[in-house]
Amino acid sequence: MKTLSIHSGRGGTGKTLIATNLACILANRGFNVTLLDADFRGPCLAFVFSRIVDYRVKYWLNDFLNGRCNQNEVLVDISDCYNFKGKLQVGFANPSIAAIQNVMNKSQAWELTAVKKLFSLLSYLNKDEIGDYCIFDTSPGVQYSSINALVASDLCIMVMSSDVIDLEATKNILKDIADNFQKKTVIILNKYCPENRLEENKKNTVAQIEAVLKHPVISKIPCYCDVLQGNRTELLAVKKPDHPFIKQLEEVANKIDSA
Amino acid sequence: MEKQFMEVKLLAKVVEQLKLINSKLDFLTQQNAELLKIYNARDVMPLSPKADVMTLLKLPLSLRKTVIALYKVERATAADIAKATGRSRPVESDCANQLVRMGLANKTREGMTIYFSIEPGLEVEK
Repeated sequence: MKTLSIHSGRGGTGKTLIATNLACILANRGFNVTLLDADFRGPCLAFVFSRIVDYRVKYWLNDFLNGRCNQNEVLVDISDCYNFKGKLQVGFANPSIAAIQNVMNKSQAWELTAVKKLFSLLSYLNKDEIGDYCIFDTSPGVQYSSINALVASDLCIMVMSSDVIDLEATKNILKDIADNFQKKTVIILNKYCPENRLEENKKNTVAQIEAVLKHPVISKIPCYCDVLQGNRTELLAVKKPDHPFIKQLEEVANKIDSA
Repeated sequence: MEKQFMEVKLLAKVVEQLKLINSKLDFLTQQNAELLKIYNARDVMPLSPKADVMTLLKLPLSLRKTVIALYKVERATAADIAKATGRSRPVESDCANQLVRMGLANKTREGMTIYFSIEPGLEVEK
């Protein structure tokens, strides 16, 4: 099983959009995919799959980390809702304010339990060959939940826009965290805009970014207004599989699959 | 005569101060002995290690690899850790023992086998 963590230095780079659609693309190719919301401070998957969450979620990932349920009880199989060839199961983080506050007050010892629990979940998915892919949608910046997910993953996908502040934030995360754990890392340049300050010298933006971050840019996804303005509860990979945004992610999936 | 009296008085003050220093040294020695007793007993005492991911960032890479291997299991021998990290058993034994000395891992013996583990202490949920 391949474990991917989709991370970013700052918020609003498109992590959740990429994570959810990438999971759908892989599930539609016949893979068994597990998507986990590792953003306990700003859970998003419960919103994206809100129609399903209301009647299918018995336990949250928070409950699993707190030892209230087992691995098989926390994962919600949603494949039948989309008729994917493979299986897509999701572990949702609890979006209630009380749950977010609860996570914020956790101690170092709890975080140690949490990382061990994550490893046990991955081991469960690996053991019974339940999963081909596990994707963590993380919290931006340096948060315990994100670093826990990053440590547990095989590949770190950093999502960033070509904004200079994003570049600095990504550089810091890579230098201080991902590179320290010797994680294989790739970059997705999302919401790419050709009229960017990085192109002032008319140099290749991707080459510049790769030189600064010392990791390969595997995709350069342009900024699509219809994607940004679209209904987030409707999965683009399901509703518009021929959209250029999805086509770009199909290529990302190819690269990840062959890696 | 008065000068001699002053000298005796000064000497008595010095002796008094020396006694005070001595008593403080006795206290420190006793405290140190107690700390040493706790330190030496650590290999067999249940601890509450804090080898969380943020602490990991402060450790050298060699120790970090051992901790990550220990995250995946309940407990492991040096040979088990070596299998997970791809390094040699003596290297892992050295790293695991170093983590035990730092208070970041537990060490238990069952017969001839020594197990290492990273188990946080029980915590009441807030």
